[in-house]
Amino acid sequence: MSYSTFNRKQFDSTKEPMFFGENVNVARYDQQKHPIFEKLIEKQLSFFWRPEEVDLSTDRKDFQRLEAHEQHIFLSNLKYQTLLDSVQGRSPNVALLPIVSLPELETWIETWSFSETIHSRSYTHIIRNIVNDPTKIFDDIVTNAEITKRADSVSIYYDRLIEMVNLYNTMGMGTFDIPGRGEIEISMPKLKKALYLTIASVNVLEAIRFYVSFACSFGFAERTLMEGNAKIIKLIARDEALHLTGTQHMLNLMASGKDDPEMAVIAAECQNEVRQIFIEAAEQEKEWANYLFKDGSMIGLNAQILGQYVEYITNVRMQAIGLETHFATKNNPIPWINAWLVSDNVQVAPQEAEISSYLVGQTDNSLDDSDFDDFDL
Amino acid sequence: MPEQKEQVVHRVLLGKKQILVTEEEPLLVQLERAGIHVEYQCREGYCSSCSIKLLWGNVIYPFEPLAWVQSGYLLACCAIVKSDIEIAFFD
Repeated sequence: MSYSTFNRKQFDSTKEPMFFGENVNVARYDQQKHPIFEKLIEKQLSFFWRPEEVDLSTDRKDFQRLEAHEQHIFLSNLKYQTLLDSVQGRSPNVALLPIVSLPELETWIETWSFSETIHSRSYTHIIRNIVNDPTKIFDDIVTNAEITKRADSVSIYYDRLIEMVNLYNTMGMGTFDIPGRGEIEISMPKLKKALYLTIASVNVLEAIRFYVSFACSFGFAERTLMEGNAKIIKLIARDEALHLTGTQHMLNLMASGKDDPEMAVIAAECQNEVRQIFIEAAEQEKEWANYLFKDGSMIGLNAQILGQYVEYITNVRMQAIGLETHFATKNNPIPWINAWLVSDNVQVAPQEAEISSYLVGQTDNSLDDSDFDDFDL
Repeated sequence: MPEQKEQVVHRVLLGKKQILVTEEEPLLVQLERAGIHVEYQCREGYCSSCSIKLLWGNVIYPFEPLAWVQSGYLLACCAIVKSDIEIAFFD
């Protein structure tokens, strides 16, 4: 019941479910229940980058030349991205590590969260480069009503799961009267349901909310403005594409029953609730688009177009986890975003065209004569 | 006589359109060349942006993609078409 950093029991971890089985003990990867998570780890490590590699000196000049309402769009979007990564840099660790039961998944969660901390450091790098007083911007994230509304919706499922797991670890199963919170029932189905909804809301955060913010960042770059920022966002988008695949795998594995038969029942029971999480998030993002563009639009992007993109991307993400699509928008209203999202031409330093699959020291030792067939001298 | 490599050609049906593809390259690039807009991001199988409905027919993946491929769907960036197929975007 209570968490142990090294579970002394002897058990076969390949027989454990992803979550709420035995606490992990030996961090071993020679035998894996779900090898996909180690593949994600390897991919994520091959993506490693540092914000300082990206030069932002022209962004400062660009920013000063933006009109006031464009500065509002840029800064608000950046504040929102900062909020999202503040949550993602810690929450998978705090919420999921105490309940994970597979070593490869535990390490994926840590690797995933770590990459979010790189994103958080990039926002500071960006903000420091474009304004003289970063404090004003960071302080606004906890006081601005529009941003704090966002904070509530991205943290509520995490916080509920963490609260329940804390109770489970200290008190075990039962119904507990918590001062100021009322009665909270802790049972395995309730815990698993809280987990399933949390993973769904994380998928929404990374696969929908982030992409809406990427659209804004790239909207500036389409006009050859704030291009250093766009380079950083491109690197962040590459990481997020991998993270959203991680949560899609978790959700699909849970729903399939291949991992934990009890979880499949819960996933089926709360399918409607998950749909609602997606739909509500989409509505919140559309509201956010109205706030961004309240004082004026920019060339190529306005509240209506961004709203259509929200609907489109929500449909795509719902379909990816086996939900029926909800919105009428079936086409991407901003097809130019793909050219910005594509990872293969991410280039940080001029001397190093960074291919996303690039691995340092990765050489192929198995060569034979046929490998030189297409060589002409 | 120079050896002639025979190219296997399959038909891809998409609504009222018909596109001819080979087994030499993944579906995505061949659709793009035919002027069809397909969503993409990573183009190497981990982001699932290019997931398309596969109504019937066979595709294979030379490398297993990292993204989860729902049954009844294909990942265009890394799928090699192995028979005539019919595909569809959103319902």
